[in-house]
Amino acid sequence: MPVTVRDDNRHRRWALLAILILAVMVIGTHSAWAQFGSGMRPPAVGGVAGWVLAKQAAFYIELAAMIRSAKVDGSALWGLMGVSFLYGIFHAAGPGHGKAVISSYLLANDETWRRGVTLSFASAVMQSLTAISIVGIAAVLLGATAKLMGDTVKVIEIVSYALIVLLGARLLWVKGYGFFGALNKLRTDSASHAVGLETHGDANCGHAHGDTNCVHHSHNNARGFRCDQVHDADRMSQHDGHYCHDNHHHDEELDVLPWGHAHSPEPDELAGPGGWHRGLSAVVAVGLRPCSGAIIVLVFALAQGLFWAGMASTFVMGLGTAITVGTIATLTVSAKTLAKRVAHRSTGYGGVLLRGVEFGAAGLVFAFGILLLTGYMASERMGLF
Amino acid sequence: MRATPAMHHLRPRYWIGILISLLAYTGVLTGAAAAHPHVWVTMQTELLFATDGAVTGVRHNWTFDDMYSAFATTGLAAKTKGQFTREELQPLAKVNVESLRDYAFFTYARINGKRQKDAFNDPVDYWLDYDRKSKVLILHFTLPFKNPLPVKQLLIEVYDPEFFVDFGPAEKNPVRLVDAPPQCTVTVEKPPDENFVVSSQSLSQLFTSEANVGIGTSFSNKILLKCP
Repeated sequence: MPVTVRDDNRHRRWALLAILILAVMVIGTHSAWAQFGSGMRPPAVGGVAGWVLAKQAAFYIELAAMIRSAKVDGSALWGLMGVSFLYGIFHAAGPGHGKAVISSYLLANDETWRRGVTLSFASAVMQSLTAISIVGIAAVLLGATAKLMGDTVKVIEIVSYALIVLLGARLLWVKGYGFFGALNKLRTDSASHAVGLETHGDANCGHAHGDTNCVHHSHNNARGFRCDQVHDADRMSQHDGHYCHDNHHHDEELDVLPWGHAHSPEPDELAGPGGWHRGLSAVVAVGLRPCSGAIIVLVFALAQGLFWAGMASTFVMGLGTAITVGTIATLTVSAKTLAKRVAHRSTGYGGVLLRGVEFGAAGLVFAFGILLLTGYMASERMGLF
Repeated sequence: MRATPAMHHLRPRYWIGILISLLAYTGVLTGAAAAHPHVWVTMQTELLFATDGAVTGVRHNWTFDDMYSAFATTGLAAKTKGQFTREELQPLAKVNVESLRDYAFFTYARINGKRQKDAFNDPVDYWLDYDRKSKVLILHFTLPFKNPLPVKQLLIEVYDPEFFVDFGPAEKNPVRLVDAPPQCTVTVEKPPDENFVVSSQSLSQLFTSEANVGIGTSFSNKILLKCP
């Protein structure tokens, strides 16, 4: 068939592009920690990153000033809340707030932007709670030293990074199944694929889904490789938005852009198939590690006899953090949705590419975990001592 | 194939979209690398000499900001509330200098233009003072050179590569030569953009006079000794 020859060429082009995209991601990730790895040179910070850094520093300094004045002037507390909020927004751009992990997690999974935002808020709230618990229990109740608090955070840190590794490993397993399955299918089954496309072109597959999106990730079932074909029948009978929804373990759900034809979400739709616990692993992995700034601010507030103000400030900071992380999460989901459209329009190869991106993102989560755990990628330092 | 014309038709636009998204993603990850300072140190540095003119060591006197000082002194027992004696602070001082080893004491030496790796022995003569009035800790410690040698040119750089700690020279007497040969001179070069540098007592003053806080290319403090 002459089509097959052309498909082979295109196949190669897609593979090349997938490699290119992954290379960009790897380079990006590499440069993220490269400047820590060198250790011998002061960082060069300019442009937008420098501006964000400068704003963070300014707001952090102002936080200290507000706490100082709140001791004598109660009205400064309002200022403290305002500064905490702004600090949170800018500070989330720095390391240690799970942007990279959450974005990669969202990229690897089919998540709605609403769920992305929900995950961002949940992890920010959890981060605030950890900071308050540590200072509340260690410093207020037990009268522990800064060193003991630092050591506690180090243990929590290791647990948190290990959880990120586990999360990444699980995603790699699941997404590897999807990617290699789709690849395999493409190789062995390109003729019947073209037929399959016509079936999928209809509205049953919801918003802009290529057929390979419906590959399932059953762990112990060889059907996982080919179940998109099996599921054609399922899909015909499911119009509830959770197409492809069956009792297999899987990660797909209806995806909508934050603009356009978004409809108001039902609670169970927000939770998605698999329920809330599905995103919980990501929330815990990211939210477990407290923000060092929050801890220092809390202890400083405690020293001024204003611990409760420090607590309020920490929560408001978390709100600001969630807004930034949520925005990045939304952008990520939007990019994914866009990529899916391409995948849909450009035959099954796009689906393979999409699977490749998901697989790559899963690999990134795993890599982040390993690098953080081994200390090659520095997160925000807890303290000097 | 039915999908082919559509593919050709739509591809460039979507590819541009994907490319932009990926670049943004990369930007997010890259931008994530930088941390802002959480600790401010005002430093007074002394260069110590032997009678033969050899530089024997660097004595640091680091004044921390009040917020970090409050953090570092949490839970420390003190006889008088709000005051810490040198003895009460000695265990903390020990922890400090031991932890600082992990960061190479933030002190980098260059002799006659050549970077010295592992130039210093473990710190000696270390202690902490607490300034009751401004509620700040001052850490004193001496870094002895492994190989004290008479030098023509010595550059000591102090900075935190991760910029968690922001070092800056004190306004008064930022550097002092102790028992130096008469021909030796020393200069201090602040980071080119000194907006991050704050004296420990006036964090808030910095903000009010903010102007263009901090986009610097380097946060290194350079202490240059010349003994021609």
